Amino acid sequence: MTDLAGITSLEGSGPRAAPPQRAAPGRGRRPRPGRRPTGRTWAVLWLVVLVWSVLGLLPEGEVVNPGGWSFFADFWAHAARPELSADFLADTLDATLTTVAFGVLGTLASVVIGLVLAPVMSQTWWAPATGSPVARALRGAGLLLTRVTVALPRGVHEAVWGLLLIGVLGRDPLVGVLAIAIPFGAITAKVYSELLDEADHAPYEMLRRSGAGRVSAAAYGLLPGLVPAATSYAFYRFECSLRSAVILGMIGAGGLGLQLSLAFAGLQYGQMWTSIYALIVLGAVIDRWGAWLRRGANPRRWGISGVLGLVLAVAAVGHLRPDPAAWFSADTVDRLGRLVDDLVPPALPAGGLPELVSRSVETLQMSVLAISIAATLGVVVALVAARGATSPARRVAAWAARQLLLVTRAVPPPVWALLVLFVVFPGPLPGAIALGIYTFGILGRLFAEAVEELDPRPRQALTQLGAPGTASFAYASLPAALGQLVSFTLYRWEVTARETVVVGVVGAGGLGRLLEEQRAGFDYPAMAGTVLALIAVCLLVDLLSLAVRSSLR
Amino acid sequence: MRSDHRARSGLGSLLVAGLVSCTLAACGGDDAGAEGDGDRPVLTISAIPDQDPAELTAREEALADYLGGTLDVEVEYVPVTDYAASVTLFGSGDLDLVFYGGLTGVQARLQTPGATVLAQRDIDAEFHSVFIANADAGIEPIADVDGLDSLAGTRFTFGSESSTSGRMMPAYFLDQAGVDPAGDFAGEPGFSGSHDKTIDLVQAGSYEAGVLNTQVWDDRLAAGTVDQKKVVEIFRTPSYHDYHWIAGPSTDDRFGAGFTEELRAALIALDGSTDEERTVLEGYGAAAVVPTEPENYDQVEEIARQLGLVS
Repeated sequence: MTDLAGITSLEGSGPRAAPPQRAAPGRGRRPRPGRRPTGRTWAVLWLVVLVWSVLGLLPEGEVVNPGGWSFFADFWAHAARPELSADFLADTLDATLTTVAFGVLGTLASVVIGLVLAPVMSQTWWAPATGSPVARALRGAGLLLTRVTVALPRGVHEAVWGLLLIGVLGRDPLVGVLAIAIPFGAITAKVYSELLDEADHAPYEMLRRSGAGRVSAAAYGLLPGLVPAATSYAFYRFECSLRSAVILGMIGAGGLGLQLSLAFAGLQYGQMWTSIYALIVLGAVIDRWGAWLRRGANPRRWGISGVLGLVLAVAAVGHLRPDPAAWFSADTVDRLGRLVDDLVPPALPAGGLPELVSRSVETLQMSVLAISIAATLGVVVALVAARGATSPARRVAAWAARQLLLVTRAVPPPVWALLVLFVVFPGPLPGAIALGIYTFGILGRLFAEAVEELDPRPRQALTQLGAPGTASFAYASLPAALGQLVSFTLYRWEVTARETVVVGVVGAGGLGRLLEEQRAGFDYPAMAGTVLALIAVCLLVDLLSLAVRSSLR
Repeated sequence: MRSDHRARSGLGSLLVAGLVSCTLAACGGDDAGAEGDGDRPVLTISAIPDQDPAELTAREEALADYLGGTLDVEVEYVPVTDYAASVTLFGSGDLDLVFYGGLTGVQARLQTPGATVLAQRDIDAEFHSVFIANADAGIEPIADVDGLDSLAGTRFTFGSESSTSGRMMPAYFLDQAGVDPAGDFAGEPGFSGSHDKTIDLVQAGSYEAGVLNTQVWDDRLAAGTVDQKKVVEIFRTPSYHDYHWIAGPSTDDRFGAGFTEELRAALIALDGSTDEERTVLEGYGAAAVVPTEPENYDQVEEIARQLGLVS
């Protein structure tokens, strides 16, 4: 049900996204128009860009610091010795609930925002393309304007939203919820509008012709058919929201992220591991839940999950005890006004435009290296991790590989960054490596799922003909999965570009470093300028991945 | 502070409905929020996250107990993990009394008109930073500020961006020695995030040299958690004014006229004459709390302005 391949194309930019790229066995290659770059061209281009990125990020002199291994090893040695005092465990449980509460309410709010905005962003809403040319142009402009407006909030990382919102709402539990809901609401609206446009419009048109208004026609003619895909996407957003809740915690919103970050500041590795284990358990539960939902596409399972989601939402409100009245107080309005005044108009950083450009290039290079590391490691490990192995040895290996992926994505990027910083000399390189390792955990899991859902028959046929296991996999399964793997990688590349801001903390370069510096000096106009540069970088990445995907289709 | 307006939007009422249904179902949640039980206001105290959070919490909770007992109000310690967030929260009225560093204190007062400087520790009038180096980096001990130019070309790390002793004053002294922190180190300078991390990163050799506040350095030396074969002290800076307590502008409104002065008196009364006071002061590494003036931080503000840390 959770059609991740579909999601990655829906979340991409461009007016009309691709039809979901399910691996369809037996589907012949479509002839490609002659001028379009092929897969091989893209691969060569990517290699060139990767080499350029690595050269750009390498520090002068040595790269690996042998002196730091003892610190690195010390951290991992503590995995066997987490802090287990009753008090700390009680705190950890409470922190886990807080993180879940942020994730649940953040998702719920995103879905509400998505539902409200989706129609306004859809081509269906701005159709019909009849009437005078002026009316049509106006409608076209309207569609474009809503899309651009909604693209802005999602270009800003959740952590940046969190830091801005603290200034407006103060110490309010809803800062965490809103910081997730604003960017995720925008992306959900985008995805839901695509779903609307791709749905069967016959019932809607019929209702419209018989005189129904657009709202009621959509409600009765379109929505019912969209419920499964929309629910499936909401669950995927829930997973993303939980990860964001941890990052937000690290900047002070509370929950496991906060606990982890407090232990981190004091280098209390035992306590850090307790939080990491809590994150691992949380991740495992969500994984299982998702897998259970996908298997069998059973509507009853979605019903049960929906009820469970609502119960969680109510419990989350009880746990966080938000005070919505405070949102509408004169103080809040006043502070919001001041923040907007501070941010507008945006300004350039201390070094002017050249500084902003060189930082943007560095961010791009970091994202290229990070996603390359993640995709390469991800493919290798996913092949081992995919469920469905037959021999006991392979099953053990698969289980171990899945745990590796789970641990890798449970440790948040700033923690990876410090760990890498102990063994790789400072600069943007350790930041990129850290982000690569973290993204590997996420991508490896997506890859493993893609491999699991492959049609096993071509591979079995080869094996029966006497081909060794690896060879039959390489020739029968890999080509079929490749489209999806590339699609996931490109989708995650944009997310990684945005996430470079959270590893800026440890002296990693890029726009994140600039943003930290400007925040320390409360230079809001320059912060706004840097955020706009980050949006531009993400847009560039987004357009590039759209170009790659559409030419490979 | 927070008025009980009726929610004005659909979303607002939806959330209110959720809240009410939750209260009826008597679900989860633990201690009360910052508004306290009934109408009694709660005094929220905080501090910048400049050291091991466990010690910070113990120290601030001891102060909370002392102030609660002395002033007969409910006091809550609010941990904040980020310097800039602490300044922002003070500005939004979420924190009443904060123990700031020199720089964050100046930033907080600039962003919060009406905030009052209350007191400082006896050690804050003459505070120092210490430059440290990895033993294998071959950096010789430095005799005076001008000698800091020997750090040019090294891999160097500061602490937090907003730290007075871990970043701003060291940057100022480096500048006096002709070293431009932005361009004269090998690569960009690091910002480790905390004094403790600075020590460990220099000891690991990730950075050849670094700087932190003398208090944390001396504590770690005394605790024996520094490998002195691998990391050595190379220079102590001249003194400057650092940490101090600041009270928010709404404190008198909420606790009654004259409360800010009572708060100041309660802080300055800390001289170690009772066991409780000795515990509080020990946490702060001080023998007494003494008066201070806003003018004491004019130099800090001027340097911050030069370095672009306030605008």
